[in-house]
Amino acid sequence: MFSRILKWIDERWPLTPFIRLALEEDMSGGAGYAYVFGSAALIIFLLQVVTGIWQLFYYVPTLGEGYNSLNYLRTEIPFGWLIHGLHYWGANAMVILVMLHMSQVFIWGAYKRPHELQWITGVILFLLTMAMSLTGGALPWGKRSYWLVEVASSSAGTVPVIGDMIKRMMLGGGVIGQLTLSRFFILHVAILSGGLMTLAAIHLVALRKVGNAGPWDEKEREKKGPFWPDQVFKDGLAASLIILLLIALSVYTPPPFAGMADPLDASYIPKPEWNFLFLYEVLKFFPGPLEVIATIGVPVVGTLILLLLPFFDRDPERRPGRRPIAMTGWVIVVVGFVALTLAGAYSKTEGLEAGGTSASAPGPAAPAVLSADAKAGMDLFKSNGCAACHRVDGTGGSIGPDLSGEGIKGRSSQWLGDQLRNPKSHNPASIMPSFATLGDKAINQQVEYLQSLKEKVAATASAPAGAVAVATSIGLQGGPGMAVTIIGSAEHGAIIFAGTCSSCHGPQGTGGVANPGSKDETIPPLNPIDRDEFSPEPKVFAEKIDLYIQHGSRPEGPNPQVSMLPFGDTNALTQQQIADLEAYILSLNGVDRAKINHPGLSPGMFFIITLFAFLLVGINLLGWWWFWGVGKRQKKEVDK
Amino acid sequence: MEEANTPVRNRIESTRRGFLQWGTGILTFLCSLAVGIPLIGSFVGPAFRTMKTKWIKVAEVGTLPVGLPISLMVADVQVDAYVQESVVRHLWAVKNSDTEITVFSPICPHLGCHYNWNPASGHFECPCHGSVYAPDGTVLGGPAPRRLDTLPTKIENGELYVEWKQFRSGTSEKIPV
Repeated sequence: MFSRILKWIDERWPLTPFIRLALEEDMSGGAGYAYVFGSAALIIFLLQVVTGIWQLFYYVPTLGEGYNSLNYLRTEIPFGWLIHGLHYWGANAMVILVMLHMSQVFIWGAYKRPHELQWITGVILFLLTMAMSLTGGALPWGKRSYWLVEVASSSAGTVPVIGDMIKRMMLGGGVIGQLTLSRFFILHVAILSGGLMTLAAIHLVALRKVGNAGPWDEKEREKKGPFWPDQVFKDGLAASLIILLLIALSVYTPPPFAGMADPLDASYIPKPEWNFLFLYEVLKFFPGPLEVIATIGVPVVGTLILLLLPFFDRDPERRPGRRPIAMTGWVIVVVGFVALTLAGAYSKTEGLEAGGTSASAPGPAAPAVLSADAKAGMDLFKSNGCAACHRVDGTGGSIGPDLSGEGIKGRSSQWLGDQLRNPKSHNPASIMPSFATLGDKAINQQVEYLQSLKEKVAATASAPAGAVAVATSIGLQGGPGMAVTIIGSAEHGAIIFAGTCSSCHGPQGTGGVANPGSKDETIPPLNPIDRDEFSPEPKVFAEKIDLYIQHGSRPEGPNPQVSMLPFGDTNALTQQQIADLEAYILSLNGVDRAKINHPGLSPGMFFIITLFAFLLVGINLLGWWWFWGVGKRQKKEVDK
Repeated sequence: MEEANTPVRNRIESTRRGFLQWGTGILTFLCSLAVGIPLIGSFVGPAFRTMKTKWIKVAEVGTLPVGLPISLMVADVQVDAYVQESVVRHLWAVKNSDTEITVFSPICPHLGCHYNWNPASGHFECPCHGSVYAPDGTVLGGPAPRRLDTLPTKIENGELYVEWKQFRSGTSEKIPV
């Protein structure tokens, strides 16, 4: 029956020759585990194609909905968490596998005649893999995505003469926008991936045309072994183990919820994906006008060397021991790549170094000369969250007046001290909380710091009347804001909280800050939060606290000194930042904003079942292998 | 090399090949299951979810005319998967008294067209396939399999609220989707 169907097809389409081309080959030196990387990269690429297409059932490439649509897949669609996880970790695996494959080919000298074309297509496949990794990173439109696009396009912009043109073409305009995301999207899902498929086919046909290079030892090469099933089994075994590993990674280290892209959020410190960290480090060696050497020079020269390698290394010698220059070069490249990547991974960014320990919170830059007291005052300014409301030198909130030029306004130190101790002494409508609890010493340091601020306030940056105007519009009017539809990053929310909220709600929201004149006498803690505001359902919980963050609230009581400010209504925080804060406040109360509502099967259970199935098959195969080993021993006995 | 013990050699070689072929097949099958079941699950899962419903504030009861069907356009915020947007819902309301109001879904139960009120005949008429309904929703003619779908209503503080729902078309039973 089967052979009749095969015959019927063969008369109309060359199926049997096609299968023969794919499977029937006598490999020089026989099958080997050293050759599994290329085929594993191919299999993981196919996994990327399938999971990528599946994500497109849910993902849309728009600025407003891209981030939410991906997270809808991850939290609301059965096994969406796994499909995205496999794609994310599969992408990393592909980069690693391609690098390992290239290393194997290089060490074995397998790029030499007649394998030049295979090597060249391989180098282009490597570049396409890196480009896929880059463009794919933009699509979730999280915070990292945004900065990745910014840095990648700006790097291209450093090319002499045509840089700006290239940057504009990448972005689809002068600045990052919807057209940018569309471009990265279509490059990722159609052009680059289509190129990868086509080139992979050419790469494989070349393999069949010239055969595998085999071992570097000439004698070993003469031994022949079949590709099917010997090599295919080894390839399959390697790919199965990698897939099992990818599932484990998706279950136990899922991709982060980075928070929605937010160009206004300066407290986020971007770093590239690991496979571009080396370039990020190289960048630091070439400051100023030399930057182009790192952004363009290093990648272009590196690519050219790789592409031309089989042409300037024409010596047919393939034994690594007889190719000292090539081997030294390989070691230098690998050590350099690993060292730069590690340096990049562990380096603190410049922003962090300049600002000190808590500088990830928005805070002012240090003026050139500062007395010890003023310096202490600056630290207090940061740790007490003053920057949540007050702007200094361009960073900080806009609810209170800009303090950049406080020192040249002619206010006495006595006046400033009074303002800090009792803000209502100068303006009865002031919503600024009292900082009398800091003590006289700290207040004097704070005043010293304020008097040191001599920068002229830019006309647009100051909003002195804002505070009073805001005070009249506090209250829970209006519904939840856009923030509640966004799954924020709890991790980043912690940073925003430390800079903006902890001065009133206490470190990690533990409370303990007094609010005289209110019914409770204290500002409510958020950790744990009032049970009326709590809900185990993340969305419901977020909606409850969102009303306070968006619109503010005036506490009950005769004359509360401090009110919750309307951070959303005043745009003191962006909706993305509010979403991050909500994720953080939920996490303080044991609720995961990114809870998977429809997992299909819980990740842990899925992994246990998969692992069990793999173990079962593995044990059976081992048993079979042992049985065959017995046969082999029998053969030896018969041979005797 | 092949002169002695050929049957034994052949048996061993075919066992070895069999092991590798079956092993490859089983591993492929296993990986296909591990990836395939989730893929199917993600595709099928959301297709069978019941629509979430919610109450929409429609109008002040006092402003609605008595006896005559009235077409109402009501603003609503729709959460459809990951898209949250303002939409307008169309409803037909027939008020018999201040406590008794019938609200019809604007969708013809036959094949899902939007029907109209014909003031001349005093009937609801569907332009697609000619179904005709009385003001109380009963079928007067045409292919309609059931009467017009009523929506759940409630009156609070003189305001009419409607629970927006959709129903399967073409069936004689009213089945929510």
